[in-house]
Amino acid sequence: MSPAEPGPRAEAREHEPTHRRWVGAALAAGLAVALGAAMAGLPSDHAALPAVARYAMNVALPRWGLTEPVNEIVYGTRGFDTFGETFLLLAAVVSVILITRSKEPRRGYFGESAAGARERRRTDPAAPADASEQAARAAERREQDEPGPGDRAGPATPDAVPLGTPAPETAEAMTVVTRTAIRMALPVLAVAGLYLAAWGYSPGGGFPGGAVLTGVLLLVYAAFGRRRVARVIRPGLLEGIELGGATAIIVTELLGLILRGSFSANWLPLAAPGTILSGGIAQLFSASELIEVGTGLAITIFALIGMGHDWTPDERDSGREGGS
Amino acid sequence: MILVNYLAAAALLSIGLYAVLTRRNMIKMVMGLSLMEAATYLFMISLAYRSGSTAPVLLSPPPGQTEHSLVHGNVADPVLQNFCLTAVVIGVAVTAVFLSVVVRIAQHYRTLDSDRVRELRG
Amino acid sequence: MTIAALSSLLPLPVAIPLAGAVTAPLLARASSRLAVIVSLLAMAGSAAILLIEAPAVFGGRVIAQYLGNWRPAGGHVLGVTFAADPFGLLVALAAALIGAILLLYTLSELGGLGHRELGGYACLFQLLIAAVIGAALTADLFNLFVWFEVAALSSYGLAGFFLERPIALEAAFKVLVLTTLASFSVFVGAGLEYARHGALSFAQLHHALAGHAGPADAIALGLLIAGFATKAGLAPFHGWLADVHTAAPGPVNALFSALMDALGVVAIVRLVFQVYGVHGLPVLGLLMALGLGSALLGGIMALAQDDLKRLLAYDTISQVGIVVIGFATGNSAGVAGGVYHLVNHAAFKALLFLAAGAVLHRTGRTRLSELGGLARRMPVATAAFVLGALSIAGIPPLNGYVSLSLIHSGLQQDHETIPYVLTLAAQVITAAALGRAAWLGFFRPRRGEYEWQERVRPGMLTALVSLGAGCIAFGAFGPEVLRRLMAPAAAGLLHPGRYASAVLAGSGRLPALAVPFDYGSPAELISVGLSVLVAAALAWLYLRIREPLPVRVLRAAHTGSANDYAGYAIAGTLLVIAALRFA
Repeated sequence: MSPAEPGPRAEAREHEPTHRRWVGAALAAGLAVALGAAMAGLPSDHAALPAVARYAMNVALPRWGLTEPVNEIVYGTRGFDTFGETFLLLAAVVSVILITRSKEPRRGYFGESAAGARERRRTDPAAPADASEQAARAAERREQDEPGPGDRAGPATPDAVPLGTPAPETAEAMTVVTRTAIRMALPVLAVAGLYLAAWGYSPGGGFPGGAVLTGVLLLVYAAFGRRRVARVIRPGLLEGIELGGATAIIVTELLGLILRGSFSANWLPLAAPGTILSGGIAQLFSASELIEVGTGLAITIFALIGMGHDWTPDERDSGREGGS
Repeated sequence: MILVNYLAAAALLSIGLYAVLTRRNMIKMVMGLSLMEAATYLFMISLAYRSGSTAPVLLSPPPGQTEHSLVHGNVADPVLQNFCLTAVVIGVAVTAVFLSVVVRIAQHYRTLDSDRVRELRG
Repeated sequence: MTIAALSSLLPLPVAIPLAGAVTAPLLARASSRLAVIVSLLAMAGSAAILLIEAPAVFGGRVIAQYLGNWRPAGGHVLGVTFAADPFGLLVALAAALIGAILLLYTLSELGGLGHRELGGYACLFQLLIAAVIGAALTADLFNLFVWFEVAALSSYGLAGFFLERPIALEAAFKVLVLTTLASFSVFVGAGLEYARHGALSFAQLHHALAGHAGPADAIALGLLIAGFATKAGLAPFHGWLADVHTAAPGPVNALFSALMDALGVVAIVRLVFQVYGVHGLPVLGLLMALGLGSALLGGIMALAQDDLKRLLAYDTISQVGIVVIGFATGNSAGVAGGVYHLVNHAAFKALLFLAAGAVLHRTGRTRLSELGGLARRMPVATAAFVLGALSIAGIPPLNGYVSLSLIHSGLQQDHETIPYVLTLAAQVITAAALGRAAWLGFFRPRRGEYEWQERVRPGMLTALVSLGAGCIAFGAFGPEVLRRLMAPAAAGLLHPGRYASAVLAGSGRLPALAVPFDYGSPAELISVGLSVLVAAALAWLYLRIREPLPVRVLRAAHTGSANDYAGYAIAGTLLVIAALRFA
């Protein structure tokens, strides 16, 4: 295989083998033509709404008490699709947790580890890190609260750094302007996220509500640094809450089977439309979805940020195999 | 059906596909796939449109319409909007997994060039 | 039990593994083995419910459940329908049972993994099996897409499981790119079909499409087939399969080859037979071409491999090709043979991959050139491997013989001589590849000792014995299995009108299908004997000569770059669309 490679920054300028450019352009154009031909067979915008869509409009208020037919489809009639989608997100979060995990002690002999050590010796280049990569690694270690022997603790905020200090910025938090603005905005955003989930057009904003709450966490992380967020982002706790949300969704759907004879049927009484409890199980489903999506996205993002270098020999210990 | 939207969706899909097929930097390949994803959302939502329609929402109907008239009236298609919601969640999930895999590859192979990450071939 | 009660139980085989998946990471914090044991119990529970459904469904019935207490309104279906027809129930049952066996194997071989690792592994494992069961039982196009995505996302985490192996992450990247392209393909195809016909349920789509599928429908079908073919591992959409199998843990290999490929095949078969119908578009010819291409490509590439798991992966591509050839004949013998081979493939491929996984786990070696002498040191794994190889070669009385002779008789019924000859050629090449692997890896004498020696654990032994017993039973009792299981499954596929009306009505009966099968047909026995001899000769020859030109060209085409594999997949998509539109 290839000899010692220079670091990513020293990569040669991108220049593809020419055939790929022509073949890629031809294939992309071919796909556009195929899609265009398909689009020619689509009904015009004066066509009537399909009968199933009209059915959804018809049943939204009388059967589910929801003023938004889209929510009725998502959490009501086609609730089983959303059930599957919940587990899709769970699969993604667990995959990210697995990929970003740190090494754990194992019992017994694992031939895969021996094979992996051999493959790493053959594949992973032995080039030492250059200066900028070492600075990046030091910043990463400071971020993860494990300063190495040669790292100095950075300043808490850029306000403490004298003007004219050369780049890069090593402060943990952001300037006083950003921090104040985010402090003002956070309560509004948090309430907006919860409002989306609780009311929105009608109950059922679980997904966007979860995403907004994750955004709130991200803003705190960006403005105030990791220490403030670490109190909330404890992976074990968040994972437990997420799995709890998913369990609540399974139970909600199962109760439909037990109480009403059909999986994902509505078993709660319908409140008046437009109120917080309207929609029967739609609100319950949406609230569990909020918990699951919010915690799941937060776990994903902070797992990516907190990824270590457990599985590759670290450049500080070059010459010593990083464990097999 | 909005012709401009359809053409734009097809064009974006092709541009994203071109990036996936020709760019060697793995992050650019992920970006190309994100672009294709966005094009499919545009396509789905444009399929839902009907000429002169309003949103399929029964809360505070537009002036001159009651909830009952909306149910039987000219609204956009809600089922395709459900499709799109699901696809957005799928897109987020896949991008998260993609990026974590790319970071791990960069840790092992010390490069983001997909032509240098070719231990398995033949 | 009444039909109504049976139908209300239908979502449970999907919900129970999902519940197990949710509890696995939490249980793993207490004890990692507990998580796997609970997963085993969840799989067993799911299988139990499927077995409760089995007598009614295999008696020639389709049972439908409308999830959410609604009813079809004038033939229009908004909600999600679950329909258990014999084909879907068979695949779901195979998934649950083989999943349980694989979890048992995991408990014994991979039980030493760390807590978080094993919890995550058990969670993703169960999510994938739940997705396969869901896809087999669903009768709704968008629901099929959702389960396809759940399976895809679970497969990414399982593919890149052993983070200490750089190739695991490289393989995870390639499967991500190709499966994401496939998911876009399926999504756009499904959206096009809904926009044109306003239907998501298979039954409603069947009534809208059968017999009068327009050009836009052909393009949508092309997109759908291309997307699901990527999951199934048909050429030219197969770029990810070999790489993922080289790097993943043993039970995960078995899961991908046996069950995840089945998901793709089930989706294609349902769309072709039960939604679009085989008479409007030239779709059977397309499937025959895809099947023959995959069978030959898989066989030839398998012959040239040095890595044991990679060889078995290319053999998976070949076997899935043969399954699709069986379906592409369109007659009762061929379709029954296709279903039979799908189930057989799950059994013997799982057996082979568990044996290969045991070899890697215990010796740390993956390449055939570095292995050898395992017959003496690991007799159980060797016996499993040999049994699997003989099944693939089609030797009576093992299961491969029955399904392959059914497919042969299907091909002969329609007087398709060239596909028949090519199928035999692919079988011979595949058998030669496995023979070469068995010699180099297991029987060739080896002087040095391996780094580690370990005794066989009961869990691994049970898993291998049960799969081996399955292979022998499905072969020895071939005619019985054919009559009770495979023929009803084929009936459901060949009578799509009855399927569709049953789904719209809540339940319905399928006509009985008689599939003639002559177990001891002399022509078949002679052809088996001859092909085994030719395969042995080919293997012996291949051990001595340099790589011939076709093999070198094919190997050079598999460059290992994600861009190139994506290019092949898109080119395949365009060819499939063109074939359906213009042929």
